[in-house]
Amino acid sequence: MIKGLWDRETVALMWLVAVFPLAIVWIHHGGLDAVGRLIFFLAVAGFWHVIFMLVRAQPPSWAGVVTALALAILAQQELGLVPLLIGTSFGVVIAELVFGGWGRNVLNPATVTLAFLGFGFPSAPWPDIIVPVGWAAIPVALIGILAGVMSLRIVAGAVLVLGIAWMMGLDMSETYPALLVGLVLLVCDPVASASTALGRWLNGILFGGLAAMFLAYWSEAAAVQIVVSAALLASLVAPILDEIAIALWLARRRRRLG
Amino acid sequence: MITEEAAITARAQDDLRVEPLVEEGNLVEQGAPVLEMRRHLAIKIVAPMPCRVAAIRLGPGHRLSSILFFHEPGAGRHTYDTKLANRSDDPGALRDLLLASGMWRLLRSRPFGQVPVPTQMPAAIFVMGLDTRPLAPAPHRAVANRDDDVARGLHALLRLTDGPVYLCQDRSAPLSTAAVTSDRLHLVSIRASHPLGLPGQQIHRHRPATIDRPVWDVHLEDVAGIGALLATGLVPETRLVSVGGPALREAREVHCQPGADLRHLSHGLVKPGPHVVLSGSALDGREAHWLLGRDRQTTVLEIPHRPARPHWFQAALSRASRPKPLIPTAALEQAFGGALPAVPFLRAMASGNAELFTRLGGLSLLEEDVALVDYVTRAEPGITAMLSSMLDRIAAEEAV
Repeated sequence: MIKGLWDRETVALMWLVAVFPLAIVWIHHGGLDAVGRLIFFLAVAGFWHVIFMLVRAQPPSWAGVVTALALAILAQQELGLVPLLIGTSFGVVIAELVFGGWGRNVLNPATVTLAFLGFGFPSAPWPDIIVPVGWAAIPVALIGILAGVMSLRIVAGAVLVLGIAWMMGLDMSETYPALLVGLVLLVCDPVASASTALGRWLNGILFGGLAAMFLAYWSEAAAVQIVVSAALLASLVAPILDEIAIALWLARRRRRLG
Repeated sequence: MITEEAAITARAQDDLRVEPLVEEGNLVEQGAPVLEMRRHLAIKIVAPMPCRVAAIRLGPGHRLSSILFFHEPGAGRHTYDTKLANRSDDPGALRDLLLASGMWRLLRSRPFGQVPVPTQMPAAIFVMGLDTRPLAPAPHRAVANRDDDVARGLHALLRLTDGPVYLCQDRSAPLSTAAVTSDRLHLVSIRASHPLGLPGQQIHRHRPATIDRPVWDVHLEDVAGIGALLATGLVPETRLVSVGGPALREAREVHCQPGADLRHLSHGLVKPGPHVVLSGSALDGREAHWLLGRDRQTTVLEIPHRPARPHWFQAALSRASRPKPLIPTAALEQAFGGALPAVPFLRAMASGNAELFTRLGGLSLLEEDVALVDYVTRAEPGITAMLSSMLDRIAAEEAV
């Protein structure tokens, strides 16, 4: 008889609120150039959201803004307009809108766009994430976890593994800002990540493990490229992690309750 | 507080096929049988107060629509013979007494949440000594100073099953159960936060219900009522009901008969303006005129100011995207009390995967157990509707 708050758009708006600190720090350091990039990606993602609203009656989502922000921060630089248009359209349409919009997608559209651009235009340079932007990811994670739209387990799992790798001597002094930004913008997407308690731990651990492995053995890759690859693979495996978590949960219950 | 009128009602989908044992105009003692179930003749429905039968309305196939009573204080109370039922070597006599006195209908069997058939042996019985629904009356206050009745009722429950009896209580208000010494009685102390105080949550945690192993749940006040019936032969007259909600100037708790007139209970307390009266809590209540079934609270809500008609485009958009996607959030997990993997469970229901639904423990749950999920997520179509259609489907498949 009475109705609560947490429908899809509330979650999307809370996610947007959570990434605000990151957006502000990034725009502050990037200046007009950053604003221009953000507006470009907002326009492209928004265009496709409107097209799908008109043609398929899919309500647009605020999550598209987070996608645009992630692309503006992480997409390759010095790419022409056309590659960026193609890449963004591919990611937004194929990874999100054709599934029925945010909430029904399997992969994060920003992750797919970045992977597409990475494979399609391997020679374009990846952006450097500066240190203050990396630190800004910490309030993002805090707000997101407190509001319940990001999972503490994913963040903790990733930080745990990366921390162990760092203690074992892996050099992350140059790459940690990109890892943090990728973690909060790409991996912590509530829809594209694992959805069970154990699955989320595994998801975070897998992302951290893949990122650490790429850092150690993939010497010519840029930091953002490593983050995107690890995020894409972790997100692809997320449903299997959920399956594992459910199987273990069922086995434990069977042992306890007979 | 006994209201002047009371009624026992049922919806068409409840499929409550009855045979009247009284006629309109008859004077009936409180606790005397007035209806019997056509499917199981042993299960009786009794008069909630000393009364005159005002109207019996039956639908097609003798399905009960409503039976209305007018209060007649002079009609007296019906006394049952409890000698046989009190002998501890004859559990059949105890069942007969509960069936004949209408107290049987206060038991609820899972899966599917029906009144148990008279021969059913439960794998476990859960006594709910707490109720965490918003504005619900605290059961431990309903049975204050009735330790003897509770103990006698618990002994009776122990005779109805070979399995364990779980007594769920509020951690901050423990019940005194020293009088009951049985290794089959388990105390479960729970933090009183919704939804942990729902029977479905506790059954799911401690003894999941399956088709072969049904589990019953019963309210603590009704257990005390069974104890009182065994001691005196009288069916309890009243239950503790809370009257609350945002449309009331003040909330109160009353002792009233089952099937009481809800308008009467909230009379004089309602704020001016349009309102709606629910039987049950604001989360899982149904709009009703009379106190329904096992409900112990009535909630009066303001009718929300109806917005002007949404723009046609907005309306078309929101209608086109059914079912609305559910985003996995901490709020969703909390709404399930962390009892099961929430998102896989919802996916199993939405996709009609009865097997996974069963394996994840869906058979222990009823609509009231997921009402909070509906509230939190604003899901459309509602999770409660999905759960009940899934349970109906499984029930139909199992019946074949």
